[in-house]
Amino acid sequence: MQSEPFVKNYLSEHYGDDAYRTLRGYEAKNGFEGIEKALTLEPEAVTEMVKASGLRGRGGAGFATGLKWSFMPKQSDRMKVVVVNGDESEPGSFKDRMIMERGPLQILEGILIGAWAMGAKRTFVYVRGEYREPIRALEAAVEEMRAKKYLGKSCFGKKGFEHDIVIHSGAGAYICGEETGLLESLEGKKGQPRKKPPFPAQHGAFGLPTTVNNVETFAHVPFIVSRGVEWFRQRGTEKSPGTTLFGVSGHVERPGLFELPLGTPLREVLGLAGGVRGGRRLKGVMPGGLSMPILPPSELEVGLAEELLAPKGTHLGTGGVMVMDESTCMVRVACVTSYFFRDESCGQCTQCREGTGWVHKLCEKIESGRGTSEDLALLDDVPSFMEGQTICAFADAAAWPIQGLLRHFRADFQAHIDEKKCPFSESFEL
Amino acid sequence: MPKLTVDGREYQIAEGRTILQAIDDLGLLMNGVDVPHYCWHPKLTIDGSCRLCQVEVEGMPKLQIACNTPVTDGMKVHTQSERVAKARRGVMELLLINHPLDCPICDQAGECKLQDYAFEYGAPGARTREPRRPAKKSVELGPTILFDQERCILCRRCVRFCREVPKTGELGVFNRGDESLLETFPGQPLDNPYSMNVADICPVGALTTRDFRFKIRVWFTDDVDSVCNQCARGCNIHVSRSNNKIYRFVPRRNDAVNDTWMCDHGRMSYKLNSQGRLVHARADGKNVSTVDALAHAGELVRSARAARGKLVGVASPLAANEDLAAFRDFLAELGAGPARFAVPRGESDEILIEAEKAPNAAGCRALGMVESTDSLGHADLAIVLGHTLHAAAFADVRRVVLVDSHESALSARADVVLPARTFLEKAGTFTNVDGITQRFEPVVEPTFEALAEAEALEELRKAIAGAPARERV
Amino acid sequence: MTPETRARIEALFERYPEKRGALLPAIYLVQAEKGWVDAAATRELAELFELEPVQVHEVLSFYNMFYTEPQGRHHVYVCTNVPCSLRGARSLLRGLEAYLGVHAGETTRDGRITLGHEECLGSCGTAPVLRVDGAYHENVDFADARRIVDGLE
Repeated sequence: MQSEPFVKNYLSEHYGDDAYRTLRGYEAKNGFEGIEKALTLEPEAVTEMVKASGLRGRGGAGFATGLKWSFMPKQSDRMKVVVVNGDESEPGSFKDRMIMERGPLQILEGILIGAWAMGAKRTFVYVRGEYREPIRALEAAVEEMRAKKYLGKSCFGKKGFEHDIVIHSGAGAYICGEETGLLESLEGKKGQPRKKPPFPAQHGAFGLPTTVNNVETFAHVPFIVSRGVEWFRQRGTEKSPGTTLFGVSGHVERPGLFELPLGTPLREVLGLAGGVRGGRRLKGVMPGGLSMPILPPSELEVGLAEELLAPKGTHLGTGGVMVMDESTCMVRVACVTSYFFRDESCGQCTQCREGTGWVHKLCEKIESGRGTSEDLALLDDVPSFMEGQTICAFADAAAWPIQGLLRHFRADFQAHIDEKKCPFSESFEL
Repeated sequence: MPKLTVDGREYQIAEGRTILQAIDDLGLLMNGVDVPHYCWHPKLTIDGSCRLCQVEVEGMPKLQIACNTPVTDGMKVHTQSERVAKARRGVMELLLINHPLDCPICDQAGECKLQDYAFEYGAPGARTREPRRPAKKSVELGPTILFDQERCILCRRCVRFCREVPKTGELGVFNRGDESLLETFPGQPLDNPYSMNVADICPVGALTTRDFRFKIRVWFTDDVDSVCNQCARGCNIHVSRSNNKIYRFVPRRNDAVNDTWMCDHGRMSYKLNSQGRLVHARADGKNVSTVDALAHAGELVRSARAARGKLVGVASPLAANEDLAAFRDFLAELGAGPARFAVPRGESDEILIEAEKAPNAAGCRALGMVESTDSLGHADLAIVLGHTLHAAAFADVRRVVLVDSHESALSARADVVLPARTFLEKAGTFTNVDGITQRFEPVVEPTFEALAEAEALEELRKAIAGAPARERV
Repeated sequence: MTPETRARIEALFERYPEKRGALLPAIYLVQAEKGWVDAAATRELAELFELEPVQVHEVLSFYNMFYTEPQGRHHVYVCTNVPCSLRGARSLLRGLEAYLGVHAGETTRDGRITLGHEECLGSCGTAPVLRVDGAYHENVDFADARRIVDGLE
């Protein structure tokens, strides 16, 4: 992995410095100014700051973070808990990995600020099992903080502010990145998402009042508190302030991470990534990870922010920008995509369990040249049976990319049917 | 009390109910208000994964699952809209793409919720040509249940049942996605006293009972309501019969008695109705006609009275209230004291199984009968219903007239034996351990001469008086 | 499980409001002993966590990183999701299959290597990526992959 993004901003400014992962290195670069400021404020005031900042969750759903924090009960005779989603498994997304590995203390500081605001006593940071180095970086950082009494009975010397952080490893299942799937997994069960109601703020981890936020979301929080709401809102858009680490992958010259303000036009991001590799023509771009519908080359002016992408029929997701050049067979992309969703479905809901299987079989059939127009008609129809009707949004995430590919690249599918084979001889092989 | 409107009609609902619970509370579920469902069950925790119970709720943009949506005051629900119909079609179609075409060989056919709902709510044709997911067929999941893994629609009712009711938790779902499979752990079969309930709650033919396998098609049977007689709980049952033969017991819902469950022992007790029966009247060990047996018994009673001998009556907690009342009157007329009765006892649990292994000890007690397993001591004549008092208690009784349904040590030594009808062959009531009196009706007709106890006593009364018995009893 | 493993598991209980929260970490500890979790270990875990063995097996079967069958001494995984496929990961996997003489999902006859494919590993900017015994090898081509594999005993 690169040690720092190709383009940096306030979040990743010091990621290139190995010492930034240690207390000494972090504190040398204004680390913990956020928590120290927060501890001088009333907890509710901290939540109000985060609300006013307009910070949106960086895990893919983009929910207003301050609002989510305000859902926690003010008083509770049960322990309140924070859960951090470090399960990053969205194909195309690799930002959280860098933030955990290179800026673990940002996350931990943000957690403590949230813990103070919400009155939480314990945090579980759930990191996907494959992320061995991020887990080690976080564990080492937690150890240091405990030793320095930044965690424990009186964090940062604040009497009554008791908090501890547990780093918890997942075991390889994309669905554990779903908020309540994560909670189930944390509890030692299969990561099968829960029905709502009840909501995590009332009944979350181990039945306790819980707030779940993405690692990157927490990483921004210390900056908001230490530098102020006005400062934060200077970057990004009105509805999506701040920066994020866009991850560009696929057919570009310089794939990697780029910390840019939300709302940066897609064309600019592609330019920073060196443009399409080998000077080839662009065929399509998935702007937000595999779950979000693909965009055709005619949409490169769109700003990468949720409110700007939604009118184009797609979403920001986790800002995983996957670039495909003219050699790419979109039906093969559909096969790889639908295989992924079939493999990762938790299996509870009828539409998702059976629908992901059916969609994959249809894509494979069409790709192999055995597909008919009925199969294509089915591929139009089946995703519509899956959307909007399941316990969690996984079925939506499985339906949308297929719908996007059919919307903009139907010709690829038709060609397979007409020619009874894949006509894209230069495409990546299956 | 929140108001809920369903398909334009307003109802008052109890607090704290979901839409589906509310409709069920009203007795309308699939009985006036159609909300088809698989994973929800009134007596198990809410699952929410089958997605079939989706309904339209005004003010909520997406369809909501009725099983997990709390009713709020003024909520308006639509169950028959086009959106709902489309969602149901979608769920049915998706459930059928991997479901094997087993109907011709599947026991569930005719009482299968997949068949029923596919017919009612599904699309008219199948659009899938893809090979179906193969899995295990005909697995002996344990001593009572046969499992067809391909047919399973993963509603998980059975998993929840085993964890929540017998609390034995033998079942689980392994893997993820469309590789999900219902399984047991090797070496730990499905084996608990309530195991056969999973066949009832399985909406399809994935879990069926070994006992009922291939016995009969359910459309050749009809169901008669009755009550189990194996313990004092009195679980409500349906008796499936065809051509005067009983094929099985299935629990019948009664929220005050047995919820929707019954134990395996009680369920299998239907077999007792045709095993070990007393099929012929006997006098002095020889088969005689019922008329002759009654005459002989009448003679025994007259002799005993003439000699001022001691007459005792022994009742049975397996008898119906009506039969016990007739017996009390009968004994009173003869000047005998209150009847004795003994109650067989055994293990009980916190679920349904009662320690008293008879349905109507309460009935005996209510009629002032005396509960004891002591020896009867010296008596000249005992008139006995059933054989729940052990034969040794009769060691010093000179003569025994027995009215019973089944052979026993007592019937072997009794001087007169009159075959009795079981509870499945007559009408009557039992009173259970909680004092609930429950009625049952005749289900089958014995193929030999048998009398309900009350009838037998009436005939005996006539015989004692020397009057001729009815020719056909 | 060894007494040491058991002790390490028990030490985890107090981190979680309910002991079942320690199940996933516990499975890792048990699995570290011989590379997979057999039926006996499953029963032991069930007893330790006051669960039914079937419940423990549910968890084992749900997650990719838990194994209920013997494994090769080394795990070599290639990510084959979209960003990696766009940069040749699948050709790389085919090459390794041919080189090792097994299909993805199988173990070499000498028990040395279990080859497999995985979903996105979060290395999209440095694709293709191999995950070998838990360590990431990024930006690999076939020559790199072969070198890495040759170094595994």
